[in-house]
Formats: sequence, structure tokens, C-alpha cells
Amino acid sequence: MRKSQRRRLSAVLRYVVLSMWTLVAFFPIYWMVSTSFKPDTQWFAWPPVYFPDPPTLSNYLNVWLGAEEYTTTQYSISSQKPLISLGNSTIIASISTFLAVLFGSIIAYGVSRYRILSEVRMFQLLMLRMIPPIVVVAPLSLYYSALGLLDTMTGLILIYFITSLPYAVWMMKSFIDEVPREIEQAAEILGASRWRTVFEIVLPLVRSGLVATFLFILILTWSEYLLALIITKTQVATLPIELSKYQGSTEGRVYGRQAALAVGITIPLMIAGLIIRKHLARGFSFGMVRR
Amino acid sequence: MSVAVVPAVQAQASLPSTRELSRRRAISRFRWSILGPLIALLVFVLMPVLFLQLYFSLHQWTVYLGTWWDAEYVGLELFQEVLTDPRFGWAVVRSLSFATGSTIGCFVIGFALAYLMYKPFRGQAFYYIIFILPMLTVPVVVAYTAEMMLYQSGPLNDLITRIIGIEFKPAWLTNPHIALPTVMLLEIWNWAPFSFIIMLAGLSAIPKEPIEAAEILGASKWRIFWGVQLPLLRPVIFLALVLRFLEAMAEFPKTWALLQGGPGTATETLPVYIFLTTWQYFQISKGAAMSYIVMLLMVVIVLFAIRLLRREKRSLDTMYEKAAARQQELA
Repeated sequence: MRKSQRRRLSAVLRYVVLSMWTLVAFFPIYWMVSTSFKPDTQWFAWPPVYFPDPPTLSNYLNVWLGAEEYTTTQYSISSQKPLISLGNSTIIASISTFLAVLFGSIIAYGVSRYRILSEVRMFQLLMLRMIPPIVVVAPLSLYYSALGLLDTMTGLILIYFITSLPYAVWMMKSFIDEVPREIEQAAEILGASRWRTVFEIVLPLVRSGLVATFLFILILTWSEYLLALIITKTQVATLPIELSKYQGSTEGRVYGRQAALAVGITIPLMIAGLIIRKHLARGFSFGMVRR
Repeated sequence: MSVAVVPAVQAQASLPSTRELSRRRAISRFRWSILGPLIALLVFVLMPVLFLQLYFSLHQWTVYLGTWWDAEYVGLELFQEVLTDPRFGWAVVRSLSFATGSTIGCFVIGFALAYLMYKPFRGQAFYYIIFILPMLTVPVVVAYTAEMMLYQSGPLNDLITRIIGIEFKPAWLTNPHIALPTVMLLEIWNWAPFSFIIMLAGLSAIPKEPIEAAEILGASKWRIFWGVQLPLLRPVIFLALVLRFLEAMAEFPKTWALLQGGPGTATETLPVYIFLTTWQYFQISKGAAMSYIVMLLMVVIVLFAIRLLRREKRSLDTMYEKAAARQQELA
């Protein structure tokens, strides 16, 4: 075979493989979205209904707005709980992420410029993330109930802050490492304190890094399940917990409603992820992947 | 960056002027004003938790009989109970095989896709976006979507039947022999993007010169892959494997939301078994003893992983430093 022919063949082969995986990656997401637009008779029909016919918004209206007129008697789950959970999730995830990024970037600055944590300590910091939360969640919930933090936003924010700190520090360090030191040195000579240097010079310079880190950690916090399941019980349920309440209810399978809720949970995550798609590798790679 | 700092510090060490001393003191003050709160927070939150954990694993507390602080001291009995519990042993086996299987699956798929994509081609951005989408779905959502698709006469079986033309009807979720592999497949679907983006970044970060040199010398693609690219990728490969393995060991949302350990005990991994023991059977003390054992196991694995990552990172750092030095020489 000639070389140009072989190259064309391998290019075609590449598109075939990539397109196959595209189908695998995309079909479940398509199924979730299409189910969310299906009327209740098509949720688990035989043969399966691939395109909602006719598409309906009733699942969304019922789940998110509690619209009674769309509630069939058989599948009635009418409440406005998901909106409350959306509020909870938004508040908890954004505050804990904000704190983690703020504190994390100050630590990262210290590490990058003054080695306030040695390399070993930096890796040990990762243990906060790498030890599975299931092994501490039971005593944590007892301790929280003693402190009165159980089932409160503060409690969840605190633990999310701690578990996302390692990623915040590592990711911000990789951004701050790229900022030349000359500007800070100039500021130092002019007599600015280190704190002022951090807030007025370094952090503004890594603005895009701050945004990327914020969204990256927001993704992790938004989808956290186990800690939220144990610590929040009823009062401040987050969205993943709210979704799991739709299962095992006496009404039977309520796929359409679940899907409408699931789509709502997933959309903010996908938007955040697509905004920072170029930075995802950096977040996970602890300085081991260079550009 | 650290390279620039080191000579400065050494210079200070040889002749510390008063100005340098005050500068150093200021840095130390800065350092502790950052680390102080961090350490205080960890001590305040984590220490009591670990202490409680230890307390419960040494004291038999039955939830409905009395308060937890006058639970009966039983020494190492609970540990003995856990270690002789065959269900615990099976949970360990399941967790390890789940983590190993899904790690390998994610890695193979992620690496293959990354290898096909690291050079620019038409449609690269499109495929990249599609491929990272599974990672951006919430794990619980993955579980429920799987339930919508995987029932026996569901869309997945229907599609496969249509494509291959033979009746294809595995009971993905209710057959105890394939329930765990099903969750493994979900984990792979969910997290192959993770290996993909890391390997893609790794592949595109490889310096071009050694590959071009090998091409000029007439090496085949296969040879270049094994002899040049793979060794240069070693740190990144370790990273992708280690992180994925640790996350898979801790996997809870999908396994729990989808099957709660069932059918029977077919998907009862360690997190699920601990959860069941503590929150469904209310054997807090047994759960605590179990957690302690798992924690020790995980600490050993994590420390080993950290050692590995540090070693790889150091070798990577020296490689880049050498390359930078060579470039400076050339310039």
C-alpha cells in the first residue's frame, strides 16, 4: 500500500473509532434528556420509545414548579422541594468553593514563593481528599450533632471546604507558578506588605486561574453525594439527595420526573465544565502535566 | 520558580544582615499566619472525629441502649469480629476488583482516545467536548439514567439486539453475576474522560524533538510509541492510574443509588457495606471498627501512591530542568 493511501485509511479509522465512542458517551445523556420530555406512558414502554412523541414539558413543570395540573394521579410528586434544594446546593457549593479557592490560593502563593509547605507536606495535604469519606462520616455526624452542625449549611460548607482545599492549593499553585516574580519584587521594594501583594498584585494577575479553579471545585462539590446524604438529612438537602428521594417511592418508577430533575442538576455542571475544559487536566494533575 | 529562590536563600545564609534577618522573620510570620488557621481547623475538625472513631471501635455501643459515652469497653473484640466476618472479606475483594477493573478500563479507553486525538485534526474540538461530557454528569444522575436504560427490555438491550440481529437480553441489574461488572461499566463510562484528558495533556506535552529524531532514523510508529512516547509518559500514566484507583475504591453514589449492595450482596463494596452496617443495621461500633481497618488500608495505599507520585514528579522536574538548561545553552 502506498503511504498516502495508508495515511488516508488511518484517518478514516480514527474517525470511525472516535465516532463510535461518541455514540457510547452521548447515548446515556441523550436518553436522560429525551426521557425528561416523554409523557408518562413512554417512560418504560415496549418497544422503547427513542423520540418523545409528543414531547411534553409536563415533567419539568411538575418537578421544578410543582404544577399540579400536570400531575397525573398515578405519579404525583408535587412539591417545590427541588427549588429549595437548588437554593441549598447553590449556596453550599458556592460558599465552600469560594472559601477553598480564597484560602487555597493564599496557601498556594506561600508555597510557590516562600515554600511554606515542603513538597512532602503538599502531597500529604492530598490525603484530605484521597481517604474515602465513608470511613469518617459516622463519627463526623456524631461530632456534628454535638456541635449542632448536623443538618445545617454551615456543617456541610465546613466539610466541603476541607475536602476541596487540596485541589484548590495544587491548582492555584500551578497558576501562580507561572506568574513572573518581578512585579511582586517591585511591589515589595515599594514597601507593600505580603498580604497586600497577594490581594492586589498576585491574585488579580491569576484571575482566569481563579475562575478555572473555582469552577473546577464547584463541579466536585456540586455532585458530592455521600457526605450530603449523611450530614443533611431533611433540612438542607442538596440536589443529588433530592434526586435520590424520587426513587423507591410508592408510586413506582417515575423516570420522566427523575430525568427532568437530573437534567436540571447536570446542566450547570456541564456549562461550568465546558467553560474550563482547557484547564481540567491541570486540576487533576498536580503539576505533573506541563503545557 | 523554586530554582530562583534557592540561590537567594543560600546567599542569605552565608551573611545574614539585620535587614535579611527581619525579612526572614517577616516571612516566617507570614508563613504561620497562613498555616496557623489551617492547622487549627484540621485539629478542631479532624482530631475529634478520629478520636470518636477510635472510641467507637473499642466500645460496643448499641444505639437504643443508653448514651454513647457510657458504652461498654470491649477492647479489640470488634476488630476481631470484623476480621472474621466473611462478608467483610468479600467486600474487600469486591472493592479491589471493582477498582482494578474500572481503573484499567478507564485507562485503556482514555489512552486510546487520547492517542487518536493528540495531533490536531478536523473536528478535534468537537470530539473533545463530547468525550468530557460523561465526567460532567453527577454520579447519582448516572445511576438513575442507568436504571432508565438497563432494565431488561430497555433501550440498551433493544439497540444491541437490533444491531447484532440476535436476541440480547442480559439482566444488567438483577443478575447477581453481572451486577458488579455493570456498575464497573458505569464507572468506566463516567470516568474514562478523566484518564482521557490526563493522557491527552500528557501526550501533547511530550517534546517533539525525540519523536522527530526517531522518525528520521526510520523507526516505525509502533517502535516510537514503545521506545519514546511511553517512557516519557510514565509519570502521567502513574498519575492517571493512581488517582482513578483511589477514587474507585471510594466509589459510593452509583453503587448505592443504583443497587444498595444488591441483588443479594453482589455489589456490596466496602463503602456500601460500611454504610449498611452503620446506617441500616445501626451497628455503629462494628461500622467504626470496619472504617478503621479500611482507613488504615487506604492510608497505606495512599502513602504508597504519594511516594510513587513524588518520585515520578521529581524525575519529570529534572527532565524539564535539563531541557530548559539545554535550550539556554543553545540560545
